[in-house]
Amino acid sequence: MTISERQVGFAGSTAGPAAFVTPSSSMGAFRRPVSATGWRSWVFTVDHKKLGIMYGVVAMTFFVIGGCEALLIRLQLASPNGKVLSASAYNQMFTMHATTMVFLFVMPMAAAFANYLVPLQIGARDVAFPRINAFGFWCFLFGGVFLNTSWFLGGGADGGWFMYAPNSGTAFSPSHGVDFWALGLQITGIASLTGAINLIVTIINMRAPGMSLMKMPIFTWMILVVQFLLLFAIPVITVALFLLSFSRIFGATFFDVGQGADPLLWQHLFWIFGHPEVYILVLPSFGIVSEVLPVFSRKPLFGYKFVVFSGAAIGFVGWGVWAHHMFASGLGPISVAVFSVATMAIALPTGVKIVNWTMTLWGGKIHFTTAMLFAIGLIIEFTIGGLSGVTHSVSPSDTQQTDTYYIVAHFHYVLFGGAVFGLFAGFYYWWPKIFGKMLNERLGKWNFWLMVVGMNMTFGPMHILGLQGQPRRMQNWTKFRAGEGFFNGAFWNLVASIGSFILAFGILLFLINVVKTARNPERAAADPWDARSLEWMTTSPPKEHNFDAIPHVHALDEFFHRKYEEDLATGQIRLVSDYEQVMAAEMEHADTNIHMPSPSYWPILLALGLPIVAYGIIFNLLLAVFGGVIVLVSMFGWSLEPSVADESDFDPPSDSGSTKELATLA
Amino acid sequence: MTTVGSVIQKSGDPMISVPSGNRFGRRAAPLVVLAATFIAGCAKDAPQDTWQPKGTNARKIDDLQRWPFGIAGIVLLIVVAAVGFAVWKFRDRGQEMPAQSHGKPALEIVLTVIPALILVGIGIPTLSTIMDLAKTSDTECVVNVTGQQWWWEYDIPAQDGCGGIPEPIITSGDLVIPSGMNVLLRISSRDVIHSYWIPALNGKRDAVPGRVQTLRLQADQPGIYPGQCTEFCGLSHANMKMQAIALNKADYATWVANQLAAYEAPAKDSAAAVGEAAFISSCSRCHQVNGLANTDGSLVISRPDLNIYSGAAPNLTHLMSRVTFAGANFDLMTAGCRSAIYDATPDAFGAAYLAGVSPECLNVVELRQWLRNAPAKKPMFADPTNLESTGGLYRGMPNLNLTEDQIDQIIAYLLERK
Repeated sequence: MTISERQVGFAGSTAGPAAFVTPSSSMGAFRRPVSATGWRSWVFTVDHKKLGIMYGVVAMTFFVIGGCEALLIRLQLASPNGKVLSASAYNQMFTMHATTMVFLFVMPMAAAFANYLVPLQIGARDVAFPRINAFGFWCFLFGGVFLNTSWFLGGGADGGWFMYAPNSGTAFSPSHGVDFWALGLQITGIASLTGAINLIVTIINMRAPGMSLMKMPIFTWMILVVQFLLLFAIPVITVALFLLSFSRIFGATFFDVGQGADPLLWQHLFWIFGHPEVYILVLPSFGIVSEVLPVFSRKPLFGYKFVVFSGAAIGFVGWGVWAHHMFASGLGPISVAVFSVATMAIALPTGVKIVNWTMTLWGGKIHFTTAMLFAIGLIIEFTIGGLSGVTHSVSPSDTQQTDTYYIVAHFHYVLFGGAVFGLFAGFYYWWPKIFGKMLNERLGKWNFWLMVVGMNMTFGPMHILGLQGQPRRMQNWTKFRAGEGFFNGAFWNLVASIGSFILAFGILLFLINVVKTARNPERAAADPWDARSLEWMTTSPPKEHNFDAIPHVHALDEFFHRKYEEDLATGQIRLVSDYEQVMAAEMEHADTNIHMPSPSYWPILLALGLPIVAYGIIFNLLLAVFGGVIVLVSMFGWSLEPSVADESDFDPPSDSGSTKELATLA
Repeated sequence: MTTVGSVIQKSGDPMISVPSGNRFGRRAAPLVVLAATFIAGCAKDAPQDTWQPKGTNARKIDDLQRWPFGIAGIVLLIVVAAVGFAVWKFRDRGQEMPAQSHGKPALEIVLTVIPALILVGIGIPTLSTIMDLAKTSDTECVVNVTGQQWWWEYDIPAQDGCGGIPEPIITSGDLVIPSGMNVLLRISSRDVIHSYWIPALNGKRDAVPGRVQTLRLQADQPGIYPGQCTEFCGLSHANMKMQAIALNKADYATWVANQLAAYEAPAKDSAAAVGEAAFISSCSRCHQVNGLANTDGSLVISRPDLNIYSGAAPNLTHLMSRVTFAGANFDLMTAGCRSAIYDATPDAFGAAYLAGVSPECLNVVELRQWLRNAPAKKPMFADPTNLESTGGLYRGMPNLNLTEDQIDQIIAYLLERK
């Protein structure tokens, strides 16, 4: 069947479409983009699904770049007095590795999932502000590319991703690397902030009828918590980056000790952002596994309310623990004591999640799909990272561990074993939803086990290295400090380096799997996993407007309850209708007249102005003025543009006043 | 092996007591292997091992951290066992669709309260240890420690403490302290943030410019305790090392007396005498040698502030009384002579250390390389054509373009700086 993709123009207007002068046509410069196919349909799209896919592709690219940086680091550290990287190159490498993985891979990859899935999970047809959504994506892409052009314009940032003052000042870091870093992260920060507002408004206002907050899918819940964290954390780092940029470029003295500044100001600002950032990175993955585990255990998430509220609790307590990154900074014993206790407290809501995931498995009927393996893997690997985190909360003990490889081990178990494993679970689980094809499960299992072996070989030995006293951010290590005996630091450094290549090979298998799957003509079933939530209650991939009929929600796991019925007497679960039957029932009240926003030039153009301003600030203020003009013009153009294109923008122009019929995508 | 083994004996860590024959055996066995590997993995004599405390402060930390580590190990085992059991027992064997249970609040609450109680148990000793390690009232000896790119300066003020310091002593590379005494370091920085860390004696404390922060050190026995800068401090962060040297009371007094001994000019017409002149013309712009005089008898006063961004360079008055040079990054002694000090028993250590560097023991190869082209030996910010950001000042030691003869003469001179 076909569905009208747009509202009936301005047929209701007394003047009629031909005489209705919209700002886009009155400006006369160009017509609005309306293509539904070809590259234009991607570049100017405001569709949350296309934007989600683009977020994913770009984030994956940065993942590969950040991974190559990591491999160079491990090559350098495989043997004593490594010669692969110079001290300067090494410092740039670990700075950019962390920056890339945090800001350009995990955050945007979570945004990819959130963008694609949140509207589908809540039964909406798009996000609240589609053009802002597009603008956010382009800010992320241009910010990330801008940041990485520093490699070719005098060198990358070399102060560590934490960029402590005063080492980040021009005297100590004279290349433009830190300028690129500070300005690039400002631009990607815009992506996070606009995305946060967009998703918060979407989730609060656009849920399908009947979906109360406590009937909302758990992934959407975790994304909601993350967006609030972003909303409050990004402004803090923005302030810090602003101070840093002003100090470096215009000679301000915010961190200049000679002028009476206290360099600990930067540390507080950075970690007030930086610690919530950890939860920003990991909570989306918690949401993903909380979706995957129930589906493949054939049971609802155990303690849904506890998982929701523990997620929210993490969101709150996460603001009160930042100074545990500063136990050696000299805060004084009272502050240290307070932050020690707060840090211990945050272990509780995190522990609640581990308990609930385990109890979800308990008594289930477990299918070991690749997605499920990654989810189970996350429980174990993240637990290791969480437990080493508890040993840091004992601050006297932390003064021995901080800035050693023990910390590197800890946060890689949290971020790789936690965040990245969750993202991979999400890839395998939602791939058939997003692309209509199943990723190869056989390759997937190789992918999983190589990643498990690789990550434990890489990051496991780092616990030992750290406890043996190997500091982090070291361009080289020496035989003397590695100690004697066979299992000394040299041995474990080598094991970690070998492990990193196994890990990289595992990830390569995923990329191979993607290519193989794309070439495979076989289509996936519409509900291949017998899933539980709304995003599966439509075609795969979904049509542009997501749902022909907006579903009415009666229960948590709505889709499951449409398919199955519980016999109240015996407790047995019976299949009452399959996907086709559920969909057929939905089609009976399908909407015939669906309003979808039109594509736009302005988001990409506005975003394009920002790196030009940033290059200008670094190299020539005239260029910044030029970028500023682009930004201003785009803002005006955008604000004068209606959300739906004028009829005359379509090619060929549609019949006066009639609905334009577009073939469905499926 | 030694430390970790003893930790486990004392705290009864159950990691190794899981029998591999029970029904979790299949999954627990690799874990036991893992745990055993981990324990065996701790190198013998890794000099910066954080689990081998050699003084009261580090021991307090070590006593405290055994519990969290042990408990973390137990919790991990429980989680792995529970998940392992669940995925084995409840795998799909064609059973009926399970009951759609949404949770058991009572169980959730119990499983939240238990870890909360454990955390309270860990928290209370943590708080008391924090306060304990912040004490300064029992100080018996004070040393001012200043970090700069990429070395540490030690300045021991005149005091009754430390067994009596009649005049201030300024040195670098080796932090020399009396063993058994509660030493208080007052730590600061001249440029970026560094962090002072001798793992065997205490945790770390950052050296923050504009602040003076304290760190307690106490070494039970005479010996040498290596450490490293642990706050990323720029280009040569990896090469910014240090070591604490603990000497018994008598040996420490000898060391103090030697540090304060009057300058002895080289014998006339010796290679060292030529070296003294070369030193004055090439080195003393930045490096102070106390008592060194010009031919007219006026004292040579170095002005590192005119050349170096941090405004300081190591004092070389008694270079050969130390065991390292260039930010404690290179050994002043050849391997054989070096091990005579590093492997000495606590009783013999003082004498071995106080003997200093003899001409036969000097690691002349690396010292020569250093003098030939310092920035090639250790990465530093010392390219004279690229000092715009610091207004022409170096960060580190530049290449002085010395001739081979000058290098020999300067080494001959330095060998007498015991």
